[in-house]
Amino acid sequence: MPGWLTGELWSDLIAGAMVTIGLTIVSSVLALAFGRWAALARLGSRPGRRRIARLYVEVFRNVPALILVIFFAFAVPNLVPVDLRKTLFFDNVLTDALSTVTGLILPWYAFAAMLALAFNTGGHLAEILRSGIAAVPTSRLDASRSLGLDHDASLRNVVLPAAVRVAFPAISNRLVHNMKNTSLASFVAVPELFNAFQGAITRTFQASELLVLAALFYLVLSTAMTAGLDLVGRRLGAAATHGVGHG
Amino acid sequence: MGEQLEFLVGILPDLLVGFPGRRPGGLLLSILLTLASLAVGTTLGVVLGFGQESRLWAIRAPSRSIVQVVRGVPLLVLLVLIHTFVGAGRIGGVSTSALQSAFLTLTIYSAAYQADVVAAGIRSVPTTWIDHALLLGTRRLHINRTIVAPKALRTMRPALLTQAITVFKDSSVVVVLGVADLTTNARIALAADVDNTPFWVGTYLLVGGLYFMVARTAALLVERLGDDELNNFGTVINSPDQSTVGH
Repeated sequence: MPGWLTGELWSDLIAGAMVTIGLTIVSSVLALAFGRWAALARLGSRPGRRRIARLYVEVFRNVPALILVIFFAFAVPNLVPVDLRKTLFFDNVLTDALSTVTGLILPWYAFAAMLALAFNTGGHLAEILRSGIAAVPTSRLDASRSLGLDHDASLRNVVLPAAVRVAFPAISNRLVHNMKNTSLASFVAVPELFNAFQGAITRTFQASELLVLAALFYLVLSTAMTAGLDLVGRRLGAAATHGVGHG
Repeated sequence: MGEQLEFLVGILPDLLVGFPGRRPGGLLLSILLTLASLAVGTTLGVVLGFGQESRLWAIRAPSRSIVQVVRGVPLLVLLVLIHTFVGAGRIGGVSTSALQSAFLTLTIYSAAYQADVVAAGIRSVPTTWIDHALLLGTRRLHINRTIVAPKALRTMRPALLTQAITVFKDSSVVVVLGVADLTTNARIALAADVDNTPFWVGTYLLVGGLYFMVARTAALLVERLGDDELNNFGTVINSPDQSTVGH
């Protein structure tokens, strides 16, 4: 191992990787929930919900993830007067608790970035699920309705599971993309993987070596995540992962 | 409120076309950069896509590796990595500007994603078509050019265009190199004065709105194109108030 790669530096990078993994897991789970809700609402029977879901999907798919991250983390606190800002976003029981759990000094930024990513990925997942639902034969919906389930329940309990299997490769792609997008949190001072590498570069000046290492870290994470999701897909009996990169 | 509006109107030209003397910049530069990267990147993507589906291992293996590596690393990391190598003249003594590095990275990035779309398109071409042509004694290269490529590209046109819109949104990440694009200019305008903090929300809403407008308009155009081509193709489950499921 080269001399500049000290144990201390290494443990910083591992800590960054942990934050990246944590951000990925929490934002992915939330994104799946948002995406599921929005896909069902958009095709559901309630006009009000349909409109809200549509608005949600359009806004969060068409605004870059980076802008969302910066907006949530940096701009939103500015909506509040200065004297209130500190207590509301940076110094209260909740942020203290989050600090203790995550080990982050300013958990608001991580929380905001996580939420921005979840909204963004959720919008994309909603659209993926919707096209998955469109690929399910209508006879399924008819069959379920004739058994007495209403439209929304049929959609949720009968059509959606089939749609998830059809759309699984695209869902998996999007979740891996979400993992890569957590690197955007480095713009708002979240000590995730890329941020840790930036810190390491300023301390050691080994920019090219460290950046190659950063790329390798992410490559390992995305390869492992793809493999893990493939396993899940196989258990679900999903279509073979040979997906198109769903934007 | 008046102050907010005044500030936003003041920076609008900088966001749209760039700061005086640094034009093209802002949204215009984001669009130009995206279009230029896509022009080269999509061409490369077609080559890589065919490479990925090649029967020759010597072509298939490197094509797949390139695509997998580029897709496995966040754009943010790619940008900084590539700029560190080519921006400092570490490769071949050629030193690129930040804008050139951004162009190069976005080109490679879009090539990898478009390659996957093209490869999926190639796989969608019915093998019987190829078999028939082979039976007639047509050479592989000729088949690829006259049968596979036109069919694959036509099938995948909506997906290629959707991916292109993604590249536009992702181009916001070039802010890390400070390339006078829309996101960079918003940052510069806000950082010009410490008293600008009240304008963060408005500015990022405006920036998000500008990205939204371009991306949404482009998406609508793509959708219309897709609707024309996919007329009477597949069954779609509609919400109950729209013409309910037929057959």
